[in-house]
Amino acid sequence: MACLHDHSCEDHDCSSDWSLYKHIDIPKVSALNEAVPGSVKAVFKAWEQRLSSSEGLLESNEGDPELIVYIPFTSDVKIKSISIVGGADGTSPNKMRAFINREGIDFSDAQSMQAVQEWDLAENLQGVLEYQTRYSRFQGVGNLTLHFPDSYGGDTSRIQYIGLKGEATQLKRDVVATIVYELMPNPSDHKTKSESGGGMSHVE
Amino acid sequence: MVLEATMICIDNSEWMRNGDYSPTRFQAQADAVNLICGAKTQSNPENTVGVLTMAGKGVRVLVTPTSDLGKILACMHGLEIGGEMNLAAGIQVAQLALKHRQNKKQQQRIIVFAGGPVKYDKKVLEMIGKKLKKNSVALDVVNFGEEDEEKTEKLEALVAAVNNNDSSHIVHVPAGSNALSDVLLSTPIFTGDGEGGSGFAAAAAAAAAGGVSGFDFGVDPNLDPELALALRVSMEEERARQEAAAKKAADDSSKQDKEGESTSQDATMSENAATSASESENKKDDLMDDENALLQQALAMSMDDPAATVTTRDTDMSEAAADDQDLALALQLSVQEGGKDQSGETDMGKLLSDQSFMSSVLASLPGVDPNDPSVKDLLASMQNQPEVSPKKDEDKPKEEDK
Repeated sequence: MACLHDHSCEDHDCSSDWSLYKHIDIPKVSALNEAVPGSVKAVFKAWEQRLSSSEGLLESNEGDPELIVYIPFTSDVKIKSISIVGGADGTSPNKMRAFINREGIDFSDAQSMQAVQEWDLAENLQGVLEYQTRYSRFQGVGNLTLHFPDSYGGDTSRIQYIGLKGEATQLKRDVVATIVYELMPNPSDHKTKSESGGGMSHVE
Repeated sequence: MVLEATMICIDNSEWMRNGDYSPTRFQAQADAVNLICGAKTQSNPENTVGVLTMAGKGVRVLVTPTSDLGKILACMHGLEIGGEMNLAAGIQVAQLALKHRQNKKQQQRIIVFAGGPVKYDKKVLEMIGKKLKKNSVALDVVNFGEEDEEKTEKLEALVAAVNNNDSSHIVHVPAGSNALSDVLLSTPIFTGDGEGGSGFAAAAAAAAAGGVSGFDFGVDPNLDPELALALRVSMEEERARQEAAAKKAADDSSKQDKEGESTSQDATMSENAATSASESENKKDDLMDDENALLQQALAMSMDDPAATVTTRDTDMSEAAADDQDLALALQLSVQEGGKDQSGETDMGKLLSDQSFMSSVLASLPGVDPNDPSVKDLLASMQNQPEVSPKKDEDKPKEEDK
């Protein structure tokens, strides 16, 4: 399920592929069990910066490598594949489970629920591995929750970069906010173009 | 103004019958809970608060997180004391209740009142703390009641395990003259992680301290115009108190002369800064005012005076108008009660000690009949109930006076 990036990036522009990060609602991104609150926002960046840790990285609390990352999008997206760059010395996560369109998932929920898809991760320090999704299940994603249950033996889990590849639609999956029902239709509310004098034909 | 869902864990174990916090530990706890609920709902209208009891037959959720303050206050009635506090189960049930909150955007917080002894191991509590931290739930612990080194250590360890970026706190409240709620008002539990305080907390704290809060008199016209008025009054009192202190020493010797003016108090109050007569008149007149606090202060002032002058005051009283017997009685009562209650008095009461302020207030009042016995009786009884709303007391004497 992983493909290797073994061509030079001059042929096609990799960064445009991994541009789904632009559609992430960054202020609303949150994580559970992160050591520094708010550090999760630093892992969503452009492809070129995937290896730079200038803005910090997401680290779990001491002695507990479990992590949950909640990613809301500004519009519905279709996710084709995911790339994760972890930390060195066994602090990379070794498994990833994804849930879509579910808010407020915490650790007990994540452990008991059936994930939409699960992957076994390899230590991917250069960020060349990507993990494909079952595309049909990842259409119309309003928010994505990633659960990393364990790491490669390290005391904590570290994630430097999370990349998403796919397409963004212009739609927004949202709760219908206001609906106005008409008990009695009022024709004046529904003027057609010809009645309001905007049409081409003009019969005298 | 953090959007928060809070679960309050109440201890209704047998240890709450103890009276070392007045009137009983349980009652002090209930007052504190009411205050917290008010503060939370006021700081953000979308905040929700829930309550559960930890002792009794078992952990029981009285009300799930709601923003309806009335419901919360109502559920505090008719609670039975008994059993032993189950801290671990209480926290876990609280966490579950918060997990199923309706608005997932709210931050989760648990406030625990730990009065009875804690029977769980430190290790177990630390594990619970870690689990709370992992699920980003904040925890505030109020350690009161039983004082036990082990208990303190365990609770400190619990809060240290949960604490993430100073969002969790522990407060130790020893038994004493201060009410539990008053002590809590100044803690981060009320002031919300050092944001500078919600308006409610700031205003309430200012009222309790009798001084200027962080804001200009708390939140002036926005939340509570009456409270703002009371606070402004206390500010003036503070200033006037300085002058009164010096004046009082001089006036003590001339008390005899000033007694004679007791009948013409209304017009000439401002001149009689430190007379006990004017003080008592002021007390009655103040009933017309919004400030019950001023009244309390006058009574407190009569208590503050050295005991020796009490008798002189009484004898002075008898020289004046006929109903001064009642006046003397009132004064005596207030002195006696003041001796007992002084420590328990809210600081608002101390505002009344300032006689010069009293006189200035009095000067601005329309004609009030200070010799109405019912007014004086009310005065004496007010000493017992500083909490009674000023409006109720004022309405009664207003009607009687007219």
